[in-house]
Amino acid sequence: MSVIVAYSADEFGTAALRHGSEVARAQGARLILVNATAGQKLVDPRYAADEEIDAVVGELRATGIEVDVRHELVDDVADAVLGAARESSARLIVVGVRKRTPVGKLLLGSVAQRVILEADCPVLAVKP
Amino acid sequence: MDGFATALTPTNLFFAALGVLLGTAVGVLPGIGPAMTVALLLPVTYNVSPESAIIMFAGIYYGGMYGGSTTSILLNTPGESSSVITALEGNKMAKSGRAAQALATAAIGSFVAGTIGTVLLVVLAPTVADLVVQLGDPSYFAIMVLALAAVTLALGASKLRGLISLFLGLTIALVGTATGQARLTFDQPLLADGIDLVVVAVAIFAIGEALWVAAHLRRRPLDIIPVGKPWMSREDWGRSWRPWLRGTAFGFPFGALPAGGAEVPTFLSYVTERKLTKRPEEFGKGAIEGVAGPEAANNASAAGTLVPLLAIGLPTTATAGVILLALQGYGIQPGPQLFDTEPVLVWGLLASLFVANTLLLVLNLPLAPVWAKLLQIPRPYLYAGILFFASLGAYSVNFQSFDLALLLVMGVLGLAMRRFALPVLPLLVGVILGPRLEEQLTRALAISQGDVSTLWSEPVAVAVYLVLGLLLAAIAANALRRRPESLPAAMRQDAPADVMER
Amino acid sequence: MTTVIERPNIDSAPRRVVDTAQYGLAAFLVLVGGYTLYDASTLHDGFADQPVQPYAVPYVVGAVLTLLGMLLAVATWRGDVPQAEEGEDVDLTGGSDWATVAKLGGVLVLNIVLIDWLGWAITGAMLFAGCAWALGSRTPVRDVALGAALSLGTWYGFYAGLGIPIPAGILDGVL
Repeated sequence: MSVIVAYSADEFGTAALRHGSEVARAQGARLILVNATAGQKLVDPRYAADEEIDAVVGELRATGIEVDVRHELVDDVADAVLGAARESSARLIVVGVRKRTPVGKLLLGSVAQRVILEADCPVLAVKP
Repeated sequence: MDGFATALTPTNLFFAALGVLLGTAVGVLPGIGPAMTVALLLPVTYNVSPESAIIMFAGIYYGGMYGGSTTSILLNTPGESSSVITALEGNKMAKSGRAAQALATAAIGSFVAGTIGTVLLVVLAPTVADLVVQLGDPSYFAIMVLALAAVTLALGASKLRGLISLFLGLTIALVGTATGQARLTFDQPLLADGIDLVVVAVAIFAIGEALWVAAHLRRRPLDIIPVGKPWMSREDWGRSWRPWLRGTAFGFPFGALPAGGAEVPTFLSYVTERKLTKRPEEFGKGAIEGVAGPEAANNASAAGTLVPLLAIGLPTTATAGVILLALQGYGIQPGPQLFDTEPVLVWGLLASLFVANTLLLVLNLPLAPVWAKLLQIPRPYLYAGILFFASLGAYSVNFQSFDLALLLVMGVLGLAMRRFALPVLPLLVGVILGPRLEEQLTRALAISQGDVSTLWSEPVAVAVYLVLGLLLAAIAANALRRRPESLPAAMRQDAPADVMER
Repeated sequence: MTTVIERPNIDSAPRRVVDTAQYGLAAFLVLVGGYTLYDASTLHDGFADQPVQPYAVPYVVGAVLTLLGMLLAVATWRGDVPQAEEGEDVDLTGGSDWATVAKLGGVLVLNIVLIDWLGWAITGAMLFAGCAWALGSRTPVRDVALGAALSLGTWYGFYAGLGIPIPAGILDGVL
């Protein structure tokens, strides 16, 4: 039994983590934190530094939550989140969603959108 | 002063600004540098006036230097060997929260060094040109031989690889019917005019580099240090200005010498600052002097490389080489006569260097956070774009798919050169100077009616051959002392380990 | 730093590392040098007023290149290993991904073959999208759209802005 948090190193990821950790704590579930990158950019601000992940995980563990971390290079970030959910038969995925203009929706594929549409389990979409 | 009239026309001011912005952008972007950018722009700019194009290229040259130092400081990934030293202290400063000051001292130091360097250039280049123009063909031939030897043998770790690269370049330069008979044309009429140098430059710099990076793409994102607007405190100014001046003093002469390069002066500047500083304990942990000095040296050497380029027509860096190609494309033969035959162009260029330098400071101090954002361009698009524009450039020269095939063949050669660590500069210099060398020799011997002794009939030529002999002797002596560490290797020894592991 | 051996010293390192691929480069150099020599031998004497014969320089260049190729082979045999070029975007630790290079080469060849027939406006878009795909982009629709925008933009830019009429290929009359 687990809760997946699709974490990005920004306010959206922080919001997702806040909600996800609340659910995990209330239900006594294991929290799986997924922070992945396709590695296509030399600098990816949404991919957290190792120290940041350590700090976040330390905080969560201090509050008594069991935490797993998937901090990795993948071919596709949405697939990584969905794959982690399937493997662990997750009961919930938490993603942060951002506001997008119509043009933005057209041009940029959204990780959150794919997770919401393709997940086998319920998805909680949160805003910062 | 008439030069400023050329440089300050709205059109040329626009091209200077465009060059500075483009240069900084490509300096920041991974995998693309000023030499490649100028090469990619060569075909496009043939329809712009030579003044404007050269002014833009000068902006790209200076801007590229600045952009390179930005990534060294923020990412600790020196793109060019000349900014390795900047990364040492600069990245440490950034890690301890002083990124803004590191960027500021680099930018202002570059400005100071660039301005002083350009003043020296304005004073020196015409004087040198006046001296060189009086030389006869034998002396000129000797100087070119010396330059070839210096570029090939003095730079880089392996003399053998430098020579291989040089002679590959000379071979490429043979292709064509320049001497009246078809050489190495494989009976291809399309090769009769020789291999277009634009295609060679674009292939070696753009295709070769893109293929090489594609084979070794770094996938794990780097940690970038967030940065605001660069600024410096009073104390930082106090600690920076002396290193700026000393760095300039190191950089300019080395740049002006053939094969001086930027590595040696930046390294010397770093060592000097570490010796002279009142806070030796800060070195290795982010000392501002260690950024200010090498950055100034770096830019001053860039100004210095323009002395041999403009006064003698000798390129000593890859970017200078490609700019020389651009001049030749306009039918302008760089060399000592340039100051007499193209005064508008030369003085306009020199004036625009001051303009570009000032623009660099004005534009880049506030724009630093924007430049950092460029690093988020997805690499597939970046390299697909490079290949796209390289193909477009090669194709637009003659609209022949043959040129594209040539581009691919030369690009694979560029890839192989990177795989086997063959330096690019000797090849480029060989391609450019090969035909001129043959022509100069022909002229000298034609005047003397085939008497070979004319080659050492002038005192300057003899002196140059003596210098060449000394250089070769020094190299041979070095080799006999069982290959001591060459300077770049020595710098690596000095560098903190984490820089080298990347 | 002690783990990084930059240039293996022949005397102190008993194990010799041989970069076999470098023999290929050496052979290539000998081949090019040899062909240059052969080509020079086919040239005739130049004009009477030509003090440097057309074959003089090729003989020198070809001979030196052949010699350098042999020297490189010897150096390789003695354990000379090239220190491949590093860069901001280059990660030499992970080995070489020649499959990507081959894909890129294929895309470039396709462009060469098709450009005369289809014209730059079409092959340019294919070139961009194909290269992006080879380099790992997995958004084909966006890649093709970007490529088409770039190739059309450059075609019209060159035509209108620079006065360089790039042949339109099969789109002649459409553009």
